Amino acid sequence: MTTVEKISASEKLVSDFEAVKKTLPENSFVQNIRQKAIEAFAKLGIPARKNEEYKYSNVQKLFQEDFTQSAIYNPQFTIDKYLIPNLDAHIIVLVNDFYSEELSSLENLDKTVVVSSLKKAFEKYPELVEKHFSKHADISSDAFIALNTAYAADGIFIKVPDNTVVEKPIHIINVISAKENTLFSPRNLFVIGKNAQLQIVETFASIDLTVNVISNSVTEIVVGENARVQYYRVQNENENSQHINTVSASQEKNSHFDTNTVTLSGGWVRNNLNIALNGENCETHLNGLFLANATNYVDNHTLVDHRMPHCESNQTYKGILDGKATGVFNGKIFVQRDAQKTNAYQSSKNILLSDDATINAKPQLEIYADDVKCSHGSSTGKIDEDALFYLQARGLGIESAKKLLLHAFVNDVMQTIRIEALREHLENLIHKKLD
Amino acid sequence: MAEQKDILEEHIFSEYKYGFTSDIDTETAPPGLNEDIVRFISAKKNEPEWMLEYRLKAFRHWKTMEEPRHWPHLKYPEINFQNIIYYAAPKQKATLNSLDEVDPELLATFEKLGISLEEQKRLTGVQSNIAIDAVIDSVSVKTTFKEVLAEKGIIFCSFSEAVQEHPELVKKYMGSVVPYTDNFYSALNSAVFSDGSFCYIPKGVRCPMELSTYFRINTSGTGQFERTLIIADEHAYVSYLEGCTAPMRDENQLHAAVVEIVSHKNAEVKYSTVQNWYPGDKNGKGGVYNFVTKRGICLEENSKISWTQVETGSAITWKYPSVILKGDNSVGEFYSVAVTNNFQQADTGTKMTHIGKNTRSTIISKGISAGQSNNSYRGLVRINKGAKNARNFSQCDSLLMGSKCGAHTFPYIEIKDKSAVVEHEATTSKIGEDQIFYCNQRGIDTEKAIGLIVNGYCKEVFNQLPMEFAVEAQKLLAVSLEGSVG
Repeated sequence: MTTVEKISASEKLVSDFEAVKKTLPENSFVQNIRQKAIEAFAKLGIPARKNEEYKYSNVQKLFQEDFTQSAIYNPQFTIDKYLIPNLDAHIIVLVNDFYSEELSSLENLDKTVVVSSLKKAFEKYPELVEKHFSKHADISSDAFIALNTAYAADGIFIKVPDNTVVEKPIHIINVISAKENTLFSPRNLFVIGKNAQLQIVETFASIDLTVNVISNSVTEIVVGENARVQYYRVQNENENSQHINTVSASQEKNSHFDTNTVTLSGGWVRNNLNIALNGENCETHLNGLFLANATNYVDNHTLVDHRMPHCESNQTYKGILDGKATGVFNGKIFVQRDAQKTNAYQSSKNILLSDDATINAKPQLEIYADDVKCSHGSSTGKIDEDALFYLQARGLGIESAKKLLLHAFVNDVMQTIRIEALREHLENLIHKKLD
Repeated sequence: MAEQKDILEEHIFSEYKYGFTSDIDTETAPPGLNEDIVRFISAKKNEPEWMLEYRLKAFRHWKTMEEPRHWPHLKYPEINFQNIIYYAAPKQKATLNSLDEVDPELLATFEKLGISLEEQKRLTGVQSNIAIDAVIDSVSVKTTFKEVLAEKGIIFCSFSEAVQEHPELVKKYMGSVVPYTDNFYSALNSAVFSDGSFCYIPKGVRCPMELSTYFRINTSGTGQFERTLIIADEHAYVSYLEGCTAPMRDENQLHAAVVEIVSHKNAEVKYSTVQNWYPGDKNGKGGVYNFVTKRGICLEENSKISWTQVETGSAITWKYPSVILKGDNSVGEFYSVAVTNNFQQADTGTKMTHIGKNTRSTIISKGISAGQSNNSYRGLVRINKGAKNARNFSQCDSLLMGSKCGAHTFPYIEIKDKSAVVEHEATTSKIGEDQIFYCNQRGIDTEKAIGLIVNGYCKEVFNQLPMEFAVEAQKLLAVSLEGSVG
């Protein structure tokens, strides 16, 4: 009997690249980066649990099945269903990683603001794209950044020119659908100029998903000098979907960047949020909320890299876990030698509702400058019995008292969402979920 | 500023007090590690067959293991395990009946260290409160107060002696808390461990004095691999102290110890360490690599284990004294002050594993980094499924002195039971300028003010140390940090 040694998933992804390469847009600049990226991926491989960054995430299990890389399948659907009620926004729709102009509506958007597919942006704005593409998400730092950089066919490119305020939020709807196991690799690049302002809401939806899909996305965001950017991500998805999302933001001096990552559903979600503070006086706020049940897996990894003095960062992540769900919070505050006068704060709070649920928290501080104020806190517990008793004493039933307390628990993260329609929408979703 | 600089320089040039070498006749094994060396060590110690088997099993397992390199926040050159001498012992008669037979040079060594074995002898019969087991290089040289302790049924002797005289206890407990498969260094230790202390407190006995082991590396090129086993039977209590020093040498010496503690029903073990191995010179040359596995298990209900450590020495410290809280209502504590200066690196913390119901753990860790050192806290709190009403509180503070050092916190929190309440807090900052200013205003000079503030900062941990040790620790801290504020 002969045994055929099965090649590992990483090796397969590397060897598949030769074929996939031909279907990808031709451009010597990108081709070069792609080649480097696949080499970096070949070196890194799909991380094992021995890798400290993937200690709690069994990503190798995700890749046990075979996946195709290019999705040719185009689903039929109407976009109305995926809109957020009462949210007056510019709509961008991506179907299976590709920008769909028909479904998007950008009529009232300031003409100086550029929205295009990344593929087209390479042709139309080569200088700008080449300046930033793959400059903020480092291919050598993470296998999935490398994999995305090699495989990404398309995504969205947004450019807000200097001194421009985009009044209405931009809502990006990612729709995916597949007939066979598929690996998606969307790639986005947002460049926000000096003194500009922008709000982005990103949501994810899947249609009739009966097969396994992995979406490995990378978004690079450049926040220019004195710019203000808010970036909200809502993950409320099908149980079959598996997400590895990387957002790498880079902030110039005096800029503000706020992010909110709200995960309400999804089979397997890993969010990597990397923020580099490249200028003085930057302020960054990272907020996150996750509600998980069944066998959901939600993993939030954050890295705030303080490179310059006088910056401030603030993180609040909250999680409620029920059923057999597993939640992970891994936050790192990195303060480099020169980043004196840094103020950094990090907090992770979690509630477990079931004995089968698990939470793993790893709030980390890595500090090389002395004149700093850095602190973190993490707490995990059950619903406060005294508070519960207090409410019951005032005539509330135990179930509604619990619900009230859970709403109160998530409230401070909800309050950081400054788009009212979005907040209301999320509150409704959370309400339903907690029922 | 100029004044501060002077203070800083003064400290940088301050010498390691225990850096002398002693000229003692020693017997050493050739450098290198293979099965023959393991057999040689075992034969030297006249060990029974089962002990040798255990060592060989550990050695074979060790060969399959990898050095833990990827996760600790430490940087050091490759260690060549074949260049180390695994056995070094002062030449002496097989058995010592009294202190008079001990090599006078050896006694002088301990005299220099401030541990007078002679004085200990003279004090016998008089109320004294510390019994000492002195370990030099690979061998325990003398255990004091054995007779007094024996009256109470307490066994306190060297590990080698325990293997000969109390094999049933050693067999039962050795490796039950830290199996040889546990990690790279515990496997290495299990294969080549030389000596250490053994302590057994019988049922219902409260040990009347502090038990103490004093470790000293002397011979050049040697590693020290000691093994300590402490067992507190039901309702027993013991407080155990450990101190260590080494001579100044240009080479890096390896110290890979294993400490196991077993605490039975209602028993309590308090383990305090003042670790002051040679930290290397101001350029980071030399110093001891301290790779230690320490773990205790609260085996039955209402038991308690408390670790207190003051870590000021070693070029590299890799050490996580842990508690497995298996019995219901058991308590685990960890109090730590870790000081790093010059090029020292420390990656230290604890692991609290909650298995039993109503188990509680407290972690207080104070890190102080100065010079170009890196000081990391790495700790795990794990609440297993079924560990109902487990409670943990952790606090990890770091103090930075000077702008070239680093302070890091890596807590791991893993919770699988909904009734658990776990809190973790950490802060990193430098000494408040307003605090120093306030002291200056009241006529306290900057150096004293810093001493005052740092002592206050570490007070929660020092309070846990036995009296004699607390005084020593405060002095040690003062020496380690003398004015090293930038």
